[in-house]
Amino acid sequence: MTGVWRIPAALAALSVFGLAAAILGDGVWDWLCWATLSVPLAACAVKLWRQWPGLSLLRSPPGAN
Amino acid sequence: MTPASLRGWRLVHRWTSLICSANLLILCVTGLILVFHHEIQHLMGEDLDSSYTEGQARLPLQSLVDIAQKADPALVPKMLSFDAEDKAVNYIYLGKPEESGFDLGRWVVLNGFTGANQMLKQPEETLVGFLLKLHVDLFTGFAGQMFVGVMGLLFVVSTVSGLVVYGPFMKKLAFGILRFGRGTRIGNIDLHNLFGVATLVWAFVVGLTGAILSFSPLITGYWQKTELAAMTARHPEPMTGSMVSIDRVAAAGLAAFPGKDLAFIAYPGNEYAGSRHFSVIVRGHTELTQRLLSVALVDAETGVVAEAAGTPWYMTVLMLSGPFHFGDYGGLPLQIIWALFTIVTGMVTVTGFVVWLKRPRARAAAAGRGAADGKMQDKLGSKA
Repeated sequence: MTGVWRIPAALAALSVFGLAAAILGDGVWDWLCWATLSVPLAACAVKLWRQWPGLSLLRSPPGAN
Repeated sequence: MTPASLRGWRLVHRWTSLICSANLLILCVTGLILVFHHEIQHLMGEDLDSSYTEGQARLPLQSLVDIAQKADPALVPKMLSFDAEDKAVNYIYLGKPEESGFDLGRWVVLNGFTGANQMLKQPEETLVGFLLKLHVDLFTGFAGQMFVGVMGLLFVVSTVSGLVVYGPFMKKLAFGILRFGRGTRIGNIDLHNLFGVATLVWAFVVGLTGAILSFSPLITGYWQKTELAAMTARHPEPMTGSMVSIDRVAAAGLAAFPGKDLAFIAYPGNEYAGSRHFSVIVRGHTELTQRLLSVALVDAETGVVAEAAGTPWYMTVLMLSGPFHFGDYGGLPLQIIWALFTIVTGMVTVTGFVVWLKRPRARAAAAGRGAADGKMQDKLGSKA
């Protein structure tokens, strides 16, 4: 698999697992569902947070480096 | 992939997306709120009365039917429906004696423990009912529901074609790159690609299950007209005597499937039952098995099970489409996750539309035409 597909494929696999988990059972299955389905959403949030213009000051305060 | 087939996929992605985009935005906005329909109904005081004390015995089904019928003595019971999540909520359909469908009568909702009768409000009268109508059929009935189903299928094609065109586009770009300093179009393309590919599986599943649910009248209609009709046709005896009680019918149906719960009971003469046989439709009670239905035909005069069977695969697919569309099978955290995915899908729709609006070819072509016109005018001008 080429680099283009590595992360999307991982997110897709986590999504499939997460969607199926909560229908298979309750308790730990619910937790697995919430945890894995949060990853694609977190990926969007992290990429947005790191690259949104104007947030650079918040991310690395002057003198932090 | 050859350049020609990539162009083809781009065209498929562009047009399937554009055609369903307006409807998709409505579905996203209404769906986002409908994810929390239980919570909203509770806040608005629109939830059904499902109160009972622990250990309280259920009322016999016959007394529920009697209470329902008292509200409208001209109508007769045709169908009982039991809520899978809320044991206290029972729906009873009363119809005209000669009616086999569900058009001329009305549904009565009863608390199965107290017998408390509650009028079902018209969908337009409640917030959730209004949003659900808008979501399901755009207030245009069956035709609207089929339209939304087709839009759902277009959306599914749009997600698949989007995945196909993602690869070649991202060949030289890192996953999740967002080039905000490079103009509106590039910024929106990057957002569209990141959000779209990250939420693709969810969007595909919710789109496909939504389309399947839209076509549910066709799917259940097919089952009723083929397998169920063949089953009832094997027991064509007419009614001659009087009926046993509905509780005996229910008990016989449940005995045919140990460990299952009641889902529906259709009275003889209803399109889901025989001429003298009740259909007792049961389901399991885990998240998975409550979507698997089985049906027993129970003789209305003897209370004996005449035949019992499962339901075909397409009915299971239809039943399983519910949770995977509504996101109601993993508690409040899953509802919140569902809502966030819906917001991201809405943003994929909007950014994709902006990318199309800002397409360079149109600008270049327009500029080219403008320049050509200018030259023409120059020529004409020089002539004049």
